[in-house]
Amino acid sequence: MHNRLAELRAQHGLTQQELADYVAVSRQTIISLENGRYNPSILLAFRLARLFHLTIEEIFIFSVEDDTDILFGGQS
Amino acid sequence: MNTHKKWIASRVRLGWALLILGILTIIAGIIFELNLTHLPYNFRLVTGLGILFAGGGIGYLVRYIAALKDAQSARRLAIEEQDERSVLIRTRAGNRAFWVSAALVYLGLLWASFASSGSLPALAGDVLWFFLAACVLVPFAVYIAGILLDQRSL
Repeated sequence: MHNRLAELRAQHGLTQQELADYVAVSRQTIISLENGRYNPSILLAFRLARLFHLTIEEIFIFSVEDDTDILFGGQS
Repeated sequence: MNTHKKWIASRVRLGWALLILGILTIIAGIIFELNLTHLPYNFRLVTGLGILFAGGGIGYLVRYIAALKDAQSARRLAIEEQDERSVLIRTRAGNRAFWVSAALVYLGLLWASFASSGSLPALAGDVLWFFLAACVLVPFAVYIAGILLDQRSL
């Protein structure tokens, strides 16, 4: 799943460690989120959304294609 | 005391408990080894278990005592330990280790079954000891490898 976390963090002038401290996760988790290697729990997604005064959908971009790959093994 | 400091304090208590248990087990192992020479048991295993407990306890104390003095360090350490990605990584590694452990035990059962019918040599003596040691160490190695692997991929 793609996300705008790195962009939003830069806009707010936060370091990865500061963002991690705000949402109570490790800096490594923020790095993994920004690289798109890790999808957050619903709780962490809400914390991030609240911090940036956005909705979850505005931060994490759901891709139907990616989901179709998972659901149907690439056959839609 | 805030939640994070309370959590760190509980880890420190666990560290002391492990250390004391380890020291008592080591002493018991040494006493058994010296006084119960007529029994056909290897009491070094008891001493070894004590060293493992004491080592774990020292590890906990080294890691958590320093964090108790500083609220920021306590918070970061508590967050790192309970971090959702770290929990996921540990869970996945544990799952892999469990299946490896189950496979090893099943292999041992199969071997014992074939050995009882004479198709395979019986597991005895050193071979049995190495097999049991592998049943303990291999899943542990798989667990550590799983953590290292997932720390890169997740």
